[in-house]
Amino acid sequence: MRHFTNRISVRLLSGVLAAASVLVGSVAYAAPSTADLAAVEKQLNALGDRITRLQDMTDVEIVQHAYGYYVDKGQWRSLSELFSEDATLEIGGKGVFTGRPRVFQYMAEAFGLGGPKTGSLIDHQQFQCLPTIHEDGVTAEIRCIAFVMSSGGWGHNYYEDDFVKKDGVWQFKKLHGPFNMYSGYKLGWFDQVIVNTFPEKFLPFPDLPPTVIYLTYPSYYIEPFHYPNPVTGKAMPAPSPRAGGEAFGR
Amino acid sequence: MRFLRRAVPLVWGLAMGIALCGNVYAKDETSRLAALNQRVKAIAEETTQVEAITRIQRLGRAFGYYTDKGYFGEAADLFTEDGTFQWGVDGIYKGKARIRELLTRHGGGSMKEAPGLPFGRLNLRMQLQPMVTIAADGKSAQARWREWGLLGQYRKVATWGDAIVEDRYVNDNGVWKIAARAYYLNFEAPYQGGWAKLQPVPGSNWQSDVAKAFPPDAPATQQYAPFPTVFVPPYHYADGNLRAIQSRPPVDAPKRPDDALGRLEALADARELALGRAHSVRAIENLQAMYGYYIDKGQWKKAAALFSKQGTYEFGQSGVYVGNASVERGLSLMGPAGLEAGQLNNYVMVQPIIHVAPDNRTAKARWRSDVQLARAGQGRWGGGVYENEYVNDAGTWKFSKLHYYVTFWGDYDAGWAAKPIAMDPPSTTNPPDKPPTVVYESFPKLQVVPYHYLNPVSGKPNTVE
Repeated sequence: MRHFTNRISVRLLSGVLAAASVLVGSVAYAAPSTADLAAVEKQLNALGDRITRLQDMTDVEIVQHAYGYYVDKGQWRSLSELFSEDATLEIGGKGVFTGRPRVFQYMAEAFGLGGPKTGSLIDHQQFQCLPTIHEDGVTAEIRCIAFVMSSGGWGHNYYEDDFVKKDGVWQFKKLHGPFNMYSGYKLGWFDQVIVNTFPEKFLPFPDLPPTVIYLTYPSYYIEPFHYPNPVTGKAMPAPSPRAGGEAFGR
Repeated sequence: MRFLRRAVPLVWGLAMGIALCGNVYAKDETSRLAALNQRVKAIAEETTQVEAITRIQRLGRAFGYYTDKGYFGEAADLFTEDGTFQWGVDGIYKGKARIRELLTRHGGGSMKEAPGLPFGRLNLRMQLQPMVTIAADGKSAQARWREWGLLGQYRKVATWGDAIVEDRYVNDNGVWKIAARAYYLNFEAPYQGGWAKLQPVPGSNWQSDVAKAFPPDAPATQQYAPFPTVFVPPYHYADGNLRAIQSRPPVDAPKRPDDALGRLEALADARELALGRAHSVRAIENLQAMYGYYIDKGQWKKAAALFSKQGTYEFGQSGVYVGNASVERGLSLMGPAGLEAGQLNNYVMVQPIIHVAPDNRTAKARWRSDVQLARAGQGRWGGGVYENEYVNDAGTWKFSKLHYYVTFWGDYDAGWAAKPIAMDPPSTTNPPDKPPTVVYESFPKLQVVPYHYLNPVSGKPNTVE
């Protein structure tokens, strides 16, 4: 009888345990598979790229904005350090300066060393920056406005600049800042325009001639957009050949 | 035999026991994986939200670059098909074709030509100081902007423009578009004399010439009078919604187990921190914009509420005000709450350089303001640089230190070069809590406002020349 009871109780116990483990096992308590983990890692890496892009946008704006703050106070050495070794700079109609040392020489020779000069306001403000980080993650472009408030009056210019990321650090590859409208304080753009610069206007002479000939206000020129229309994706059409002329619209 | 018969079920039981324990451990891993997947989903949603802020900023800036140069069709293309544009008190224009014509007529362009402007036309409309709120469901957004205009026709007219914009946007299948723009024109002032010499406009009779020739499709949602009357365009965040200035609260990530799941949990920690910092940059852009818009209209209490409890405010040589109540006192040096009639107090917030600390708890930023003032019929230009500090207060960013260094003040009529104006000393009737931290003179004297950062590219100290 005891032998019979033992067998029943043992079998009963085994049966209960077997049933329990089937039950437990059937509620999907398998350890996460390698595939599960790989899927999560892939998602986190993709998100990492997108988050890096967000930081890239801030970083190129920082370089552009820092440029403006350095110009304000004649900090030409610091300014030149924002440029890659082989970068180019073209401001107004002065032509192209190639390489970081020439960026420094242009600023220092044209505008003088010694930091800010009493009585000489040269605030070169950086507005409305529109950055585009390219798919490769190491090149970028930006369109900005330089809004100048100076002892001489007003300036409004566009930038279309290129950046490169070297060893994880974003820096200018090309600064291209054609003038748009300069005017004196007394009458402003009503009738006191200041003409564009040209290569021989003041020293130093450039390394290369201007990349584009254009007219400033009161004439018309549009520095091409580096980006397509954010909604339609369309490239920018050319302006009317009559833009800037008296015949426009007639 | 008997031993075997007893051992088998024992071993069987032990195996089941281990399997059950193993299942409990697997259950723990399963819930860890589930939690991890939840975090991945939340990171993805927040990344999309921060990307959306940058897309809205891009839309507004692209709009400005198009309208500057007579690309009015391209500007109108930034709107939804049934998008609307409310111009001042003129009324509402509906649909892209009408918006294109509206912009063309105000901008001096041509409906017949390819893009462009005629000789002598100036239509510079800078789109500045965005304050962007993305809705929680990611389907819509709103933003407040400032438009600063340089307008005119060579040898005929030169005008300063000032407007506040409140936009609504929709996410149309992943493409953000402008659904409605409310353009609250504040003034168009002649260059000679400027805004300080504008006369009050009786009632609401200041319809633009464009609207007379090109009537709107519907009346404006509200009437108001332009400057010198002080009008506060409604804020899209008037309900107290602070989403725009919020980011991830600071956290100390726990030490993760040293297993495969633990390594992924740590990776998620790193992503959350990096994302939190990227989000914080935009939250601080929004905070500075929000502050600026309150200052514009003399809303000292609302501006002071954006400071932390021990936050400090220092303006020029006026000394330091500590704590919200004191900050409000310090702000009131600019004028009465709500400003007085004919008072302009525009502080344009631009050119940010924002660095969020590695732990996302604090931040520093350099900013600039251009300043347009008018009081008692006298106009003034100003300019200056901020070096501010911010604190992440349980996910809401606040000023811990605002320090505005005056570069210059100048009389409007004569200009800053001919007639610079000195800074005020500390007030004796409304004194600061502490004296100025830095003593200096403004233009014609110039000095470098100390930088919170080293050279962003070389990492070297900032040079003197």
